Amino acid sequence: MSTRIDPETAPGIEPPAPAGAERNYFKRDLIGSVVVIALIAFGMEAWSWVAPVYIMPSIVLTGDEILTILVEDYIHIVTTILRLLFAVAFSLVAGSLIGVVMGIVRPAEPFIKALVVIFTGVPALSWMLFAIFWFRGTEERVFFILAVILIPFYALNVYDGIKALSTDLVEVVETFRPSRWQVFRLLILPHIVPYILMTTKSIIGYAARMTAFAELVSVNTGMGARMGLAQDELNMQGVIGWTILLVIVNLGVQAIVAWAEKRLLKWRPEVSVR
Amino acid sequence: MTRAVIELDRVDRYFGAHPAVLDLSFAVMEGEIVALLGRTGAGKSTALHMIMGVLEPTGGTVRVEGLDPYAQFKALRGKLSVSFQNDRLLPWRSAWENVALGLDILGFDRETQRSRAIEWLENVKIVGAENVRKYPHELSGGMRQRVSLARALCVDPALVLLDESFSQLDHVTSKALRADFTELVRRLGKTCVLITHRIDDALEMADRILVLAAPARLALEVRVTRAGRADPGWLEAQHAAIAAAMGGEDEDRGEAA
Repeated sequence: MSTRIDPETAPGIEPPAPAGAERNYFKRDLIGSVVVIALIAFGMEAWSWVAPVYIMPSIVLTGDEILTILVEDYIHIVTTILRLLFAVAFSLVAGSLIGVVMGIVRPAEPFIKALVVIFTGVPALSWMLFAIFWFRGTEERVFFILAVILIPFYALNVYDGIKALSTDLVEVVETFRPSRWQVFRLLILPHIVPYILMTTKSIIGYAARMTAFAELVSVNTGMGARMGLAQDELNMQGVIGWTILLVIVNLGVQAIVAWAEKRLLKWRPEVSVR
Repeated sequence: MTRAVIELDRVDRYFGAHPAVLDLSFAVMEGEIVALLGRTGAGKSTALHMIMGVLEPTGGTVRVEGLDPYAQFKALRGKLSVSFQNDRLLPWRSAWENVALGLDILGFDRETQRSRAIEWLENVKIVGAENVRKYPHELSGGMRQRVSLARALCVDPALVLLDESFSQLDHVTSKALRADFTELVRRLGKTCVLITHRIDDALEMADRILVLAAPARLALEVRVTRAGRADPGWLEAQHAAIAAAMGGEDEDRGEAA
């Protein structure tokens, strides 16, 4: 979306880069990524010439393994993606609601805040071990681990967002005498959307890694579990193949979040500081 | 002018031991444009907040349309609206959606909201499909303030309150906007209270000027007629009298000139 900012009324703020400049940035990033990927591939291939296959397999072997995974084991990729998306979606809703309650219900604020902060201090590994003891079902275990790790991020960021709500905007909405639900729908919800998206953007990569880790520790399905199996069988090309696919899944999910952000926050000015 | 839309009767408002408003009484009649004029700290914003119903008076009574705006806050829904010093547009809503904010709260369907908002944007001289869809950051300062005024008028309120609505704009934009707004409010027969610290703004727009001196008490009342407004000598004399009642020169006059 194009934006117009008058430099005279907004000193220190430059208009956003024109579309041509944006394309140049994209081209530069693309070239950079291709070069880095080629260098990593070349490094791995060169290493495979001197190292045994259980240390560093060749690119061809790894490529074959990836193809095999995509044909025979794709269900584990789908399982991991669904677990990740479901847990993130649930955490987004639950964490945001907790953040809203923390932000607007004054008597509850110190108690919920203390609980959330304590939860953030519990190591992820402890939650994984608790999950193994507490839940028999594999899906419940992964879901629990991801939810307890992700919910506090949403809760704290949404809480901060509500604290940053402009009193000017509250006052202008209140002049029309809205109900509490209307204040939430018209003011609080749109105001916290950037905070929710920012949190999702920050945690999605971490959540993808945590999903694989939780699968490795607590279940026998999904990309993490299959990676663990490959390691047990000293199948290094399998470990690398699953890793590459995890990176691709991670980048794909991040691209979806970036797309959602661009659509939902189209009202925000794009500015650059001199 | 048949009935009082606003009535303040011996109103006090203290913040701790500090009186912001002291024994203030006045009434605003239907269809009247009244300016509350005073220096910074004279208590005019405190008086406005009590009329809006967001601040409770320490003593005395405030009535808007016969209701207590603080105790009967919700009862004044749709009857009162405010335009502030800065535009206070919701950044995630386009120009027309900002104008339709009050209609949304009053429960109008989206199509009615849109058509009425566009009509009001045209009334404040913002026209064209492209402009009505723009977000606040894509509008100039003057256009944003026009949207803010359209938002205040769109719910068809009995009473419009303006809190220094023109003071942050440059002189030329402010003058044009004041003229457009005054013409619109007079044409619609709205009751309007204008809070300002600029004597020239008050003399240009208001039917009656209530000069407040700190803590907010009535220091002078001036009736402005069409004939008086057209007479430079009368205007100059009133300007001097008001400045004296406010306790000094009009700090914005040099800037405005």
